[in-house]
Amino acid sequence: MITGGKSFVSSPPAFSNDAKRLLVCTGNTVSIFSTSTGLQISELEGHGAPVTSVIVVPASTPASKVLCHCWTASLDGKIKFWDFTAPELMRTIDVRLPIHSMVIPNLLNQPTKSNGKSPNLFAYIYVEVVKQKEGQPNSSCGQIRKCNLTQSRLAGGVNLAETHKPGCITISPSGKYIGICEAHKLRIWEIPTKDSDNAVYKKIRLHHTKTFTTLAFHPTERVVAAGDVTGRILLWRGVGHRTFSTGDKFINGGLNKDAEERPGVRGDDDADSCTTWHWHSVEVNVLFFSSDGAYLFSGGREGVFVVWQLDTGKKKFLPRIGSPLLYFTNSSDPSLSSISCANNRIHLLRMPSMEILRSISGIKLPSSVSDIYEGSGSGVFFDHTAGLVAVPTDNYSVQFYSLFNDCEISEVQICERNHQPGDEATVKVNLVALSRDGSTMGTVETRVPEERIGGLASLKFWACGSQNKDFSLSTVIYEPHRDAGVSSIAFHPTCPMAVTSSYGGDFKIWVRTPDTRLKDQMLQSSGWRCHAVGSYKKKPMTAAAFSADGSVLAVAAENVITLWDPEQNILVAVVGDVLEPITTLSFVGKSAYLVSASPGSNPQLTLWSMSKLSTSWSYKLNAEDVSCSLDGSTFAILALLPKTSESVEPAEGTLQGVDGAILLFNVENPVPLATWFVSKAQGGKLGFIQTSPKLEDEFADVKPDHGLLAYMNSDYEYVLFDPYGEKDHNQSITREQNLSNLEEKEKIGYASIYGELAEFSVEKDQTQIPYIPYEKNWETIFSGPSHKLAPLTKLCLDFLESSLERRSVTVE
Amino acid sequence: MAEDESRISIAKTFAVKPKLRPTSNKATPTPESKYWKSFKIPKDIETTPSKSFIYPITSIAFSPIAPHDFAATHSANITIFSGKTLEPKSTIASAFADSATSAAFRCDGKLLAAGDLTGTVHVFDAKSRTHLRRLKGHSAAARLVRYPRAEDKFHLFSGGDDSVVKYWDVTTETCLFDLLGHKDYVRCGDASPVSDDMFASGSYDHKIRIWDVRGSNSGSVMELDHEKPVESVLYLPSGGLIATAGGNFVKIWDVIGGGKLLYSMESHNKTVTSLCVGKIGKESGEEAQQYRILSVSLDGYMKIFDYAKYKITHSMRFPNPLMSVGFSPDCSTRVIGTSNGTFYIGRRKANGESDGSGDVGLGDVEIEPQRRVLRPTYFRYFHRGQNTKPSEGDYLITRPKKLKFAEHDKLLKKFRHKEALVAVLSGKNPENVVAVMEELVARKKLLKCVSNLDTEELGSLLGFLQKYSTMPIYAGFLTRLTNKVVEMRAGDIKSSDQLRVNIRNLKRDVVEEIRIQQSMQEIQGIISPMLRIAARS
Repeated sequence: MITGGKSFVSSPPAFSNDAKRLLVCTGNTVSIFSTSTGLQISELEGHGAPVTSVIVVPASTPASKVLCHCWTASLDGKIKFWDFTAPELMRTIDVRLPIHSMVIPNLLNQPTKSNGKSPNLFAYIYVEVVKQKEGQPNSSCGQIRKCNLTQSRLAGGVNLAETHKPGCITISPSGKYIGICEAHKLRIWEIPTKDSDNAVYKKIRLHHTKTFTTLAFHPTERVVAAGDVTGRILLWRGVGHRTFSTGDKFINGGLNKDAEERPGVRGDDDADSCTTWHWHSVEVNVLFFSSDGAYLFSGGREGVFVVWQLDTGKKKFLPRIGSPLLYFTNSSDPSLSSISCANNRIHLLRMPSMEILRSISGIKLPSSVSDIYEGSGSGVFFDHTAGLVAVPTDNYSVQFYSLFNDCEISEVQICERNHQPGDEATVKVNLVALSRDGSTMGTVETRVPEERIGGLASLKFWACGSQNKDFSLSTVIYEPHRDAGVSSIAFHPTCPMAVTSSYGGDFKIWVRTPDTRLKDQMLQSSGWRCHAVGSYKKKPMTAAAFSADGSVLAVAAENVITLWDPEQNILVAVVGDVLEPITTLSFVGKSAYLVSASPGSNPQLTLWSMSKLSTSWSYKLNAEDVSCSLDGSTFAILALLPKTSESVEPAEGTLQGVDGAILLFNVENPVPLATWFVSKAQGGKLGFIQTSPKLEDEFADVKPDHGLLAYMNSDYEYVLFDPYGEKDHNQSITREQNLSNLEEKEKIGYASIYGELAEFSVEKDQTQIPYIPYEKNWETIFSGPSHKLAPLTKLCLDFLESSLERRSVTVE
Repeated sequence: MAEDESRISIAKTFAVKPKLRPTSNKATPTPESKYWKSFKIPKDIETTPSKSFIYPITSIAFSPIAPHDFAATHSANITIFSGKTLEPKSTIASAFADSATSAAFRCDGKLLAAGDLTGTVHVFDAKSRTHLRRLKGHSAAARLVRYPRAEDKFHLFSGGDDSVVKYWDVTTETCLFDLLGHKDYVRCGDASPVSDDMFASGSYDHKIRIWDVRGSNSGSVMELDHEKPVESVLYLPSGGLIATAGGNFVKIWDVIGGGKLLYSMESHNKTVTSLCVGKIGKESGEEAQQYRILSVSLDGYMKIFDYAKYKITHSMRFPNPLMSVGFSPDCSTRVIGTSNGTFYIGRRKANGESDGSGDVGLGDVEIEPQRRVLRPTYFRYFHRGQNTKPSEGDYLITRPKKLKFAEHDKLLKKFRHKEALVAVLSGKNPENVVAVMEELVARKKLLKCVSNLDTEELGSLLGFLQKYSTMPIYAGFLTRLTNKVVEMRAGDIKSSDQLRVNIRNLKRDVVEEIRIQQSMQEIQGIISPMLRIAARS
C-alpha cells in the first residue's frame, strides 16, 4: 500500500537547528526534507491523525546543536517526542483531546539551570473540547490548555481561554508571550519565567473592527502586528505597558496617558499607539518579524511577499509567487527561510535578497474556490501505464504527479493567462484526458461568461514531446460544441481519435491528420480535425467511452446509451433507460460489458451486456466514480454512502468521517469481490494503475494483468493498493529511491563563502597529462604551452635519456 | 541549477493574446506560384500604355532576339513595345486596310509579318517599319501568319478564312504551295521549333493538320481532331508535342507517337483563346528551367499548366476576357491582351541575375580586396566575431526572449481595466481589442469598464462595435456586448449628438447584415434540397 499526495501546507513547517532539514507536517506523518536538495530524507510515522504542530527543540549550547529532537502534536490527542535523525520515537503523551496547535514557551526562554534540577516543561495546547450542553448536543469549542510535558499530564484546571473554534497559537520569539486571534480581538498572555502548574497569567486584549487572521510578536520590543481579512496590517507599539510591566516603576510612571495621546488605539486597549498599513488587497495570512526586529514580513491571498521596514513603512516585494501564502518560517541560519503556499509548495528563500532557492512541491491541492461548474467533474485523470495522475491546478495548468514516487513530474500550462490568486476562478481547466499510450493529451478549459457575454470553451490537443511528459500544443478548437459545455472527452485506445460529448446535444469525433511531408521539406503540421458529428434526439450527451478494441463508441444521451461505429459514424444500437442522467460510462476491460453510473435522487449503477444489449444487473448506488481494469473483467466503483447509514449501522459509525466505499466487482457476479471504506469520498476518484516495473519485485504476488487500484479523495490524498491481495494487506513499500539519505558536509570558512573548491591533487594532475616519452624527443620535449609540460624533474630525466645513446636494444 | 528552479517556481507573466486563427495552406504558396506571382506591373511605367487602345488585342508576338521587343495587333495597327522599358516604341498603322491579325517575328527578329482581314499578308522591317512585301493570295481574311522558327529566313506560311494554308516565298512574293484540306476557317497554327519544314494549323472544322513542305503539296501529314473549333495551336519546345486550344479545353497531343491524345485539360469555363509557352526562369529549385503552357480564356483566367505532370500549377484571374498571351524568351516579361484593349504586362525583377543575358565579361576576374588584419588599436577589433554565424554542430545558447508588453498589458497588470480598454481601442488591431475584452470578462470587469467610460471613450467603443460586431468571427461575442452597452448607456447616448450618430451607423450596419443573412438563408433554402437530391443519387 502506498499513500501519498499529502498536503505539505496544512501546518507550519519547522527547520532543524542546523537549518539543513525542514520538518513538514504531511498528514499523519512528519516528512523531513533536505534544504539543500529539496528531496525527502526520512519520515516520522506514529500519529494516527493529521499532525498539526511540530516544534524542534532549539539548541542552547553549540554542543547541543547536533541534537535533533522535536515535539509533535496531532489531532489524535497525542504529543510525541522524537529524535528525528534516527528517526526514533522517544516519548508519547496522551492528552485525549484533538490538538490543533501547540507552543512550548520554555524551550525558547531557557531558564538558567542554577538549581541543578531542570524545571518542568510546559506546553500550551489549543484543543478542541466537545461540550455537552442541553439543547445543542455535541457543540465543540476551542480551549487553550496547559500540559506538563515533563510529568506527561495536563496541568489541572488551567484553561486560559475558551473560543468558538480552535485555531493557531502564536508565540513570541522570546517565548514570553503567547497570543491568539479571536474574531475581532487579539488575546495575549504573558508566560511567567518560572512557569509552574498553577502560575498566574497576566493578559490583555486588543480590539479591532475587522476579523483578525494572523498576529506576530516583535522579537525584542513590545510590538504586536496583526493582519485582518481586509488586508490591513495593524501595528501596536508599547503593548501591555500597564499590565505586563508592574515591576518596572520607571515606565509605569509615564503611562497614565489620555486616550488622545494614544493614537489609533481603540477603547481601553493596553497599547501606546496603533498604526495601520494597508497594501494587501485581501486577507493577510503571513506576518513575521525579522530576527533583528527591523523588518516585518507579510503575505496574503494575492501571493506577493512584502517586506516592510518597520520604522519607515517602506516596502520591498517578491511578486508572482502565484499562490496564496500561508506560513513563513525562519531558521537558525539567518539567510534561509521558507514560505508555504496554498498550492502545496514550500519555497526556500534566501533571505536578504528574497530569492527562491528551491521549492518542495507536492500534489496541487484542489481549488479552494467553490466549484462553479455543475457536473463537469474534477478533471483528475489517471494515466494507467505510467502510474501518473494528471491534476488540473488553479493557475490553468495540469500537473503530472507520479503516484509511485509521490513527486511532481511536470506541469503543463494549458491556458496562457496571468493567474491572480485572490480572484474568483472564472477560467478553469475542467477536463483532462490522456490517450492510452500517453502520447496525446486532450484538455477542455472553460471561461465563465459575465452576464452571458463572452463565455468560451476551448478544446486543446497536446502532443507529448519526450518521456518527461512535456506536452506541446498541437491543436486549439474554440467552442467545439458552439455555446454548449463539453461534458466528457475520451480517446480511442489504439488510433489517434478522440470524442467529445456536449450538453448541447451532440458529440464530435476528432481525428489527427497524419504528418504529410510536402515535396519541398515543408512539414505540414499535424492537427486534429473533426471527423464526424452525431446526435441522438437532441438529447444532451453526458458521457462517452470507447470499447477496449475501439470498435464501439458508447455515448450516453441523458438516460439512454447510444452505441456508434466511430469510423463510419453509424448508430448501431440504443440500450437502456435509467431514471437519472448517466454521468459515467466505461467498458469493462475486454469483456463485453459496459458499466454506467447515474447519480442523483434515484441513483443507479448498471452493468450492460453488450452481447445481449440489455441490463445484466444493477444497484441503487450513488457511484461517484467508476474505474475498470484494463484487461480483466473486474471493475471498481466508489460509492457514496447515504447520509442516514451511519445511524442505521452503528458498526460503521465508529469509523470517523467514513462517507464512502470502494466496491470491487466482477462482471459475472453482482456480489462485490471486496469492499473498502474510505473517507472524503465526495469528489474522489478511482483508477486502475499498471504495476510499475520498478515495483515488480515488491508486488511479486500481483498478477501482471490486474494492476493496482488507486483511490484519490477529494483532498487529492491518494492510496495505492492491490485490490486482490489480503484484506489486511498493509504492506508498506518504502520508497527507497525517494528517501535519498542526503547528508552534506558542513561548509565552513572559505567554502561557506565561495563554495567548494574543485578537487585538486598532485597525483591526479600528473595522470591527466598524456605524457609519452619519445625515443628521440629532445627537440620536442620543451615545446608546447608551459602549463601542459610535465614537471621539470621528469623532463630532465627524459632529456638526459634522449640525449644519451642507448646501448642495449631491448630493454624490458 | 538553483536559478533554473527559481525561474520555474515563479509564475510566468503572459501577455494578452488574441485567439489563434486557422492558417490555411494557401498561406504558404508553392515556389512555383510565387514565381508566377512575381510578374508584376513594373513601377517605372506610370501610364499604362493600354489606355490608348480600345479594340481587342488579337495577337502578341515576342521577338526572339534580346531585348525581346514585342508586337501586338489591335484594330488596324501593330504596336511594337520596347522589351527594355515596356513603352510603346512605334506603331505601324498606315499599311493595313482592315484589322491586323497574327503578328509574327522572323527567327532573327529583323522582319515582322502580319495578316489583315482583307487576306493580305504584310512584311515589315521591325526596326524601321518599312513596308517590305505584300503577299496577296487569300480570298478571305488571313488570320494566321507564322515564320518558321528554326533558321529559315525566306519563307512563311499563312492561313485564311478561305480554309487554305499557303506557303510563301517572301523574297519573290510568290505562293509556293496551297495546302488544302481544311474545310472551315483556318484561324491558328504554329511552326515546329525543330524543323523549318513542319508546321501545324488549326481550323474551325475541329481539325488540326500537320504539314510538311518537303513532301508533296497534296495533303497533310497528320490530322488531329480537337472536337471543337480550334482557337490556338502551339508546338511545345521539344517539337514532339502539340497543345491545341478550342472550346473550354486544351489538349496535348503526341505527334511523334502518331498523334495520340495525351491529356485534355478542362479547367477553363469559357473558350480558351490563346496559348503560349512559359518557362520558369529560376536558377535553382525543383522547377527551374521547366516549361509550362500558359493558357488564357474568355473567362478571365490565365492558367499555368505543367504538361509533364498534367497539373495546373497556378491560376490567375483578370477582370476582362483575355484574348492573347505572350511570354518573353528570357522569362522576364509576360503580356496578356484583352478584348477591350487593356494590356496586363507583368515583369519579373531581375534581382541581379545578369548572368542570364550573357554580358558578363570573361576577362576580368574579380580580385577580392585583401582583408585588413584587425589590431587592438582599431575600433572594429572589439566588435569582431559578433556577426559570426553558428556552424552546424554548435550548441546554441539563446538569450531568453524578452516578452514584449503592449500598453494594455501593462495597464491590465496594474488592474487599471478601463484604461487598458481605452488604450487598446485606440490601437488598430481588432483582434487585440477582442482579446482584452475577453480578458476583462474573465476578470468580471468588462461591464464595469463600459459603465465607467466617458462620452468620448464610449464613442470610440461604439465605433469599434459598429465596425466589427457584424464580422462573423467576432459577432458571437460583440453583438451581445453591443446590446449590453446600448442598454447600459442609453441615457448618455441620448444626450450626445456624436453618440447618436454612432448608434445610427451601427443600426444601419446591423440592418444591412440582417438583410445579407436573409438573402443567404434564401440561397441556402434553394440549395439544400438540391444537395439533398445530389446526395441521394
